[in-house]
Amino acid sequence: MSVVHAPFRTLALALLAALGTLASAAPVRTPNVEAEIVAERTALVPGQTATVALRLAIRERWHTYWQNPGDSGLPTTLAWNLPAGFTAGPIQWPAPKALPAGPLVNYGYDGEVFHLIDLAVPAGLTAGASVTLAARADWLVCEDTCIPEGADLALTLPVATSAERDPKWGARIAATRDALPKPLAGWTATATGDGDKLRLALMPAAGAADPGALRFFPLREGMIEPSRAQTLTRDGERYVLTLPVAFQLQPFDRVAGVITAGNGIGGAKAATLDVPLAGSVVAGPKPLDAPAPKLNVGAGATSTLSLAAAIALAFGGGLLLNLMPCVFPVLSLKLMSFVSHHDAKATMRREAFAFAAGVVLSFVLLALALVALRAAGEQLGWGFQLQSPAVVAGLAVLFFVLALNLSGVFEFGMFAPQAAAGWTAKNRTLDAFGSGVLAVIVASPCTAPFMGAALGYAIAQPLPSTLAVFVALGLGMALPYVLLAWFPGWRRALPKPGAWMERVKQFLAFPLYATVAWLAWVLGAQVDNDAVLRLAIVLVAVAFAAWAWRTYRVEGSQSWAIAAVAGVVAAAVLIAPLLDSPVASAQARPAKVDASWRAFTPSVVAELTAAGRPVFVDFTAAWCVTCQVNKRLVLNDAEVLAAFERRNVALVRADWTRRDPDITRALADLGRNGVPVYVLYRPGRDPVMLPEVLQAAMIHDALARL
Amino acid sequence: MRLACRLAPLAAALAFAASAHAAAPGAIAPDFTVNDAAGKPVKLSDYRGKHVVLEWTNPECPFVRKHYDSANMQGLQKQYGTKDVVWLSVNSTNRNHSEFKTGAQMAAWMQEQGGVPKAVLIDDTSATGKAYSARTTPQMFVIDPAGKIVYAGAIDDKRSANPADVKTAKNFVRAALDEALAGKPVSVASTSPYGCSVKY
Repeated sequence: MSVVHAPFRTLALALLAALGTLASAAPVRTPNVEAEIVAERTALVPGQTATVALRLAIRERWHTYWQNPGDSGLPTTLAWNLPAGFTAGPIQWPAPKALPAGPLVNYGYDGEVFHLIDLAVPAGLTAGASVTLAARADWLVCEDTCIPEGADLALTLPVATSAERDPKWGARIAATRDALPKPLAGWTATATGDGDKLRLALMPAAGAADPGALRFFPLREGMIEPSRAQTLTRDGERYVLTLPVAFQLQPFDRVAGVITAGNGIGGAKAATLDVPLAGSVVAGPKPLDAPAPKLNVGAGATSTLSLAAAIALAFGGGLLLNLMPCVFPVLSLKLMSFVSHHDAKATMRREAFAFAAGVVLSFVLLALALVALRAAGEQLGWGFQLQSPAVVAGLAVLFFVLALNLSGVFEFGMFAPQAAAGWTAKNRTLDAFGSGVLAVIVASPCTAPFMGAALGYAIAQPLPSTLAVFVALGLGMALPYVLLAWFPGWRRALPKPGAWMERVKQFLAFPLYATVAWLAWVLGAQVDNDAVLRLAIVLVAVAFAAWAWRTYRVEGSQSWAIAAVAGVVAAAVLIAPLLDSPVASAQARPAKVDASWRAFTPSVVAELTAAGRPVFVDFTAAWCVTCQVNKRLVLNDAEVLAAFERRNVALVRADWTRRDPDITRALADLGRNGVPVYVLYRPGRDPVMLPEVLQAAMIHDALARL
Repeated sequence: MRLACRLAPLAAALAFAASAHAAAPGAIAPDFTVNDAAGKPVKLSDYRGKHVVLEWTNPECPFVRKHYDSANMQGLQKQYGTKDVVWLSVNSTNRNHSEFKTGAQMAAWMQEQGGVPKAVLIDDTSATGKAYSARTTPQMFVIDPAGKIVYAGAIDDKRSANPADVKTAKNFVRAALDEALAGKPVSVASTSPYGCSVKY
């Protein structure tokens, strides 16, 4: 409780009032809050309205409450003791934040908050006098524990015929007023009850920009469940926010509250709305009894990307994929075929389209597979195909064969009988299509980092939206090649063909060999060391077969052909157990976790934050290149680790190398569908998501804001 | 084995759907077995045939202290204890939370307060709190002899942490118990609870 020495305060106020020129007040410090009444202007003008504010500067990590406190808590109150003739308006509440408390969610404020009040100043005051505005403020301030605090506050202001903006607080109060939720301008809102869902449909004003992430805060309790997710979808032009009806429902016939928008709505960061309820609602399910504890994520982190933005992101991501190390060698070959062939325009265009069709179709098939498996109840995310050791081993062999080809150990033409070889060469359309398919397969390890948000969005959407995003991704990836085929003039910018091409081709084998080495390591993480040895022997057999086949083609001796076939058979027999091993799941073998990192479980984050510790979670996988780069360069950096330790941050690693439904669900809660994802959970505040391409400075920044 | 893995989430979802509306007024109160402060198991359904009050509590919470410092809660426990109402005080503070109290600590605290509940339950896994979706301390449930919830919500209508407010508040639990004991339907069966968050 605050200790206010009332007599001294009164004396001090009387002295300052005698001076009669300056606004005077001193902040009251309670254990967790600094509180004071401040005014926008330096004097009271008779007959006019004056804006004052209850300013609360709240201790770090603690919070006070909004007019509806959410799951628990109590709103801040202010009881005025004003001279005759003054009247005080209600508190004008700034837009609240959603503040997690364990599995519960409260509505309130952290940091510094100004509660604005308009005072009607009586007309009969005489200039030169001074007036003391006194109020009792009470608030509940909570971190993990709650403490009711309060203070007797007073502000003395001179009376004058005109007033200046207060140099210290005027601008802050004006800014708070500008940011207050205002009635939703231009947009139309309707609220419809649909069982245990409440749908808030928002029709944008003409030409309105995308509002970004939306969250609705009801003015009263018992309407919606604070701790359950609100989901945003598009219905034609309209934005539809689906709200979970409260478990302990208090019947209502109007929906009144504040809607906050990441990018602003109706020209403001937050808007008020009050609309009648159409349809009817029934109480929602129990919020705290879900099969697995949910990670609490603030409004900012929830994925509420619009379809247009997701398509644009996917398209950009597709373009960037061309530069990724796992795609570049394959596509370079495609580019070289442009350089070496001087075909008719029509042929080139047909080939470019075949390539594009191969790329787009592969993405669509992947999307359909993902959607179908999800519908069958599988917990999957992007990169799921790499959670299977069979796919990893298969890719390793494929890349190794491609690399041997680039190194010049053998030519693909050597495999086929003469007639078929001719056919392949003539049917370059089919060849181009195949290159497109191959490009997508090899791109998959590199897709997630660029596509995190868009893929996360796509998977949660109805099928047409999902497909649109994946098609955009494919189109983005194929675009450079289509353009080069379409505008032959642009190809002049490419270097002329020559002997250098053979050297470049041979050089490009090395990124592929490197990829094989990395895939072998992934396999080791998924299965065991024996699997790596098995894969290595398979690769030796494949290399032997390729070499023997080439010798047969050159020398024509049947025994070399038999040796080559024996090599292939040996490889096939050896690789069979790997292809047969089930999709790796986390239960099969506990993830290996470094000493300073603890393994992810659904409850570990909640437990650690409940104990007041910030938690950094590294969502990663052995097959995710970006994850490994970030780990080596940033997360293993001694200075970064020291900074974590200084701030007493608990380190949690969620290893998604093998299938793990808990991690998939945690990613979905964050609005993501692939790794890497880096999140800093702060007790009592919204978690912070860090960029996928991590830098040490970003971590130091995030820790500084703890 | 694989089939079992696939069916498990489905079974969980069905169980979840079945229990979805289980702790609202009008529903049958979810049964539980929780150890009391002395470590003896207490089963809710053993008290079928009697009125039961569930009081979610946490000595560290200023809102709980409001109702004990003003002797409000102890008064209710005494008054209705003599009318054969079974009063169970439940602390769902998770055992990993800094505010967790052992059975011995809870018993000592309750004795110091002069409280006379039938039992103080140590729900140290928070499972019972979650089964009732208890959000705050205090939060109150009144259960009739048939095991049906007839009141769920706040203890009274003065949503503050100030003990002085108890005198002027309308006590929802007293009103519900008086009506229920007289065989009348409870007129205010559901209110929004207020207080500290339950420390899950």
